[in-house]
Amino acid sequence: MSTRTSTRMWSLAAHAALIPLAIFTLIPFFWLLTASLKSTDDFFSSMFLPLDADTGAVAWDHLTFDNYRRLFFELGVGRALLNSIFLSSATAVLATLCCAAGGYALARLRFGGRNLVTILVLAALIIPPPLLLAPTYQLLYELGLLDTYTGLILPALAPAFGVFLFRQATIQSVPKDILEAARIDGCSEIGIFFGVVLPLVRPMVGAFMLITFLATWNNFVWPQVVIQTGDKFPLSVAIAQLKGVYRQDYGLIMAGTVVSVLPPAALFLILQKEFISGLTAGAVKG
Amino acid sequence: MRAVLHTLLRSFSLGTGVITVLALASALTLLARPVRTRPGLDMWIFSPEHEQLYAPVIEAREHTDEPDVNVSVIGIPALQRRMMSGFFAGLATSDLIEVERQMAGQAFTGPLDSVGFLDLTDRLRDEGLLDKINAPSFGPWTSRGRIFGLPHDVHPVLLGYRADIVEAAGIDVSTIETWDDFYRVMRPLMTDEDGDAQPDRYPFALWETDGDRLETLLYQAGGSFFDENDRPRMDTDLNARVLAEMISWCVGPDRVAADVPDFTAAGNKLKLDGYAIAYLMPDWMCNIWRLQLPQLAGKVKVMPLPAWEPGGKRTSVWGGTMIGIPKTSERVEDAWKLAKDLYLSEEIARKLYTLNDIVTPIKTYWGDPMFDEPDEYFSGQAKGRMYVDMAPLIPHRSSSPYAKLALDRFRDAAVALAEWARATHTYEPEAMLSKCHEELARAEGAVRRQMDRNVFLASDESGGDEE
Amino acid sequence: MSGRTPGRRSPAPYLLAGPFLVIFGVFVLYPLARAAVLALMQTYGPQASEFVLFTNFTTLVADPLFWRAVGNTLIFTAASVFIQLPLALALAILLNRPNLVGRGVYRLIFFSPQLMGLVFVAMLASIVFEKRSGLLNQALHATFGVSLDFPWLQTYVMPTLIITCLWMYVGFNMVYFLAALQNVDKELLEAASIDGAGPWSRFRNVTLPAIRPVASFVVLLSIIGSLQLFELPYIMMNYTAGPANRGLTIVMYLYQSGFEIGDLGYASAIGWVLALMLIGFAAIQLRLARTEVGA
Repeated sequence: MSTRTSTRMWSLAAHAALIPLAIFTLIPFFWLLTASLKSTDDFFSSMFLPLDADTGAVAWDHLTFDNYRRLFFELGVGRALLNSIFLSSATAVLATLCCAAGGYALARLRFGGRNLVTILVLAALIIPPPLLLAPTYQLLYELGLLDTYTGLILPALAPAFGVFLFRQATIQSVPKDILEAARIDGCSEIGIFFGVVLPLVRPMVGAFMLITFLATWNNFVWPQVVIQTGDKFPLSVAIAQLKGVYRQDYGLIMAGTVVSVLPPAALFLILQKEFISGLTAGAVKG
Repeated sequence: MRAVLHTLLRSFSLGTGVITVLALASALTLLARPVRTRPGLDMWIFSPEHEQLYAPVIEAREHTDEPDVNVSVIGIPALQRRMMSGFFAGLATSDLIEVERQMAGQAFTGPLDSVGFLDLTDRLRDEGLLDKINAPSFGPWTSRGRIFGLPHDVHPVLLGYRADIVEAAGIDVSTIETWDDFYRVMRPLMTDEDGDAQPDRYPFALWETDGDRLETLLYQAGGSFFDENDRPRMDTDLNARVLAEMISWCVGPDRVAADVPDFTAAGNKLKLDGYAIAYLMPDWMCNIWRLQLPQLAGKVKVMPLPAWEPGGKRTSVWGGTMIGIPKTSERVEDAWKLAKDLYLSEEIARKLYTLNDIVTPIKTYWGDPMFDEPDEYFSGQAKGRMYVDMAPLIPHRSSSPYAKLALDRFRDAAVALAEWARATHTYEPEAMLSKCHEELARAEGAVRRQMDRNVFLASDESGGDEE
Repeated sequence: MSGRTPGRRSPAPYLLAGPFLVIFGVFVLYPLARAAVLALMQTYGPQASEFVLFTNFTTLVADPLFWRAVGNTLIFTAASVFIQLPLALALAILLNRPNLVGRGVYRLIFFSPQLMGLVFVAMLASIVFEKRSGLLNQALHATFGVSLDFPWLQTYVMPTLIITCLWMYVGFNMVYFLAALQNVDKELLEAASIDGAGPWSRFRNVTLPAIRPVASFVVLLSIIGSLQLFELPYIMMNYTAGPANRGLTIVMYLYQSGFEIGDLGYASAIGWVLALMLIGFAAIQLRLARTEVGA
């Protein structure tokens, strides 16, 4: 057997295993999409596309955007969508700045207590976030920040792993002599951070921003705990509330899920490479 | 300038740019569209049916000097969470909240002065409402002798059944007095039509996971989770016997009960198919059926519950709603007036029945002839009178804040028992009794442990005025 | 170190590190200290609290629900490490053929469930696994004749969670393993092949040592994530722990205690036990990784 045929055989075998798995992975998405376009009656009478009761053929005219219409015009989910976009992007931008500056300072600048802070950050890496849930809630209550956007954003701006990632990235990709050269040129420290350091850790900036965006978008516990006013809920909480006890409006829940999944999915598709390289950077190089 | 731009472009990848633009744009949009604050009273309710009921009254107010009312219908889990987090933190919630019985207990777990609802006891006494309203209906809204809500209902329970199927088989339900009679009479209906060797019909809708239904049946039998001093007492002979009996219905090759959930579309489909013949039917459930199962109009009837023993109680109680005023409301007097407008008026009491099938807790309205009118959905029965007749007979329920916990642990005991019964092929109630006691003792211990831990309840009890 | 590095007096480091230091101090370190104090209290929301000293911990040790939560969480964690990760590695090895047609498409497909947040996966799963109307039971009924009433969400809660997480996370972990497989020395593999080493021997002696650092990182990440499972069962079970607490996890119990019952003190005590478990697992994992490399 020649190497070429053997390679081809292997490829065929790989495809034979991969294709069913890929279908298995995609079916729930297809089910989700079709269910969001069906009425409750059709939801029960057909698995995917609605079927005509008499002929059993696909009844394309049964497809309806009514679930989406109700979502936006009767339930006002547009507001929750806007809230989610704001919370996710604002948290992503601010947390990235905060962690990048902090990580750079820890890696390359000298200041009192630097070693102590570094040790604390490393120790904080192992703290499970749920441990801080109760005391942070109490703290926000005392600061009067419950039921505010600030109360959602502020505590998320200094995650230990963010600072740690940027500290590592700075150590790896910001050579000391470049900083020296910039200082000799008379650049200010702030200027050096924005003009020299940030461009050098650019891959980490992109990846961390996306990770933070997605994490905030999908965050459920914290907004559920902090936010009280209906108009301030992000999508995760607003859509989860569609699951009532007296009524299970399947089409509506499915449409809400589609609306919640599309924006981050679109963002990811545009930025796939950046995301995956950043995601694995910490593991592979670190 | 070009250098700055160049640096920016260098440090910003596409992703960074997109997200930054999103942040700026959404921040500006949010600034332009601040959170709406509407004038008028806010009212949170969990029932879309109640929204329809109140709509005429609320619309009528728009032409008067009374403040407008903004009604929000919120699912029970969400309503409960928002209410409790508001109460915990002293944040504004709403001017009026309609609360379901099981949600209310949580509001009473802390110190008496931390209860988020306004104490209505004095108002109720001064305005003579304590005598006007069916006394047991205050039970769930009372904590340590103080009343925190205006009751909405009585919620007696009857047995709803598929009259079309039963009558087509020539079965006469008037011969049924006890649950044993019921199963004997209904058994011929357990046919297997699709040939999978399993019946396609079961006499009764009950499953070991149906906490509410198990509780309702337990109350009917005279069982309870607490003694008269609200101390947990679950491991009793009566409770064990009833639990064993109920689980024996759900297990084994000859089981007579089926899992048909309420409120879900899947459960509704099973009801349409006649998968179970009979269902526990509190008055409010009539309305859920009417709205969600219009296809069954004229095919359903109600009858008194089969008793646990000859001469036993033929009804029970399931659910309950109150309206309360959060302490944070800035318009307590307006809210109290609206609560009375909605809950005490004869017009609403009538609509409560004609639109929602619910019997009012106000005793003076019980003579209304509307309760005697035939109901098309229930095959022409005057089912209103049947419910009203049962109203004074409903079993007493404890107002303990731990009622929900006790029910959860009771359900756990039921699930554990059913699992054990299936694993050991023990299908006779007598053979389950010792296991029943074991599970109930475990449940009681869990509730007691939680109650003994609560320092707030204990300190209030020693100093407060117990009824 | 150059003399031109800003000295201790320069304000610049504080300006740059300042926002991080302040927020880290206020929202990480300070709450951590408060969590220690809170664990000694019983509260009813943030307003009413009383010191109960170590009662929270003594109650916790005797609390069967807590142990139920720990048991469920450990089962889930074990499934993540011993079922999910090997599958992810297998998938990565299948995909790791440079000339495989559609490699990028496969990778995207397998990764795609990760784009759907846990909350939304939970909403979807709660309908997929429903009796009768659920997609899974309908499909199983149509293909294998399994009963439409198979009680996934009633009786088989942990298997349901494990299957859902397989769908969601296998592709995610696969991406890590794919990246790690790039570190495998292809010449070494070929040399081993020429020496007559079989596929298993090549995997054992060449591939595995090369991906070991990433693998141990992924294992640790998986353990940390699994121990904190909460939203998925919580939303799937309609905001409860499910029948007989079959879906109760440690963080769910923490959440219920603190934010449904209002006892932030008990919640903090649970949080500390969780933190100890995490630290314990991390220490074991680090030691294992070290000794294996050393061996």
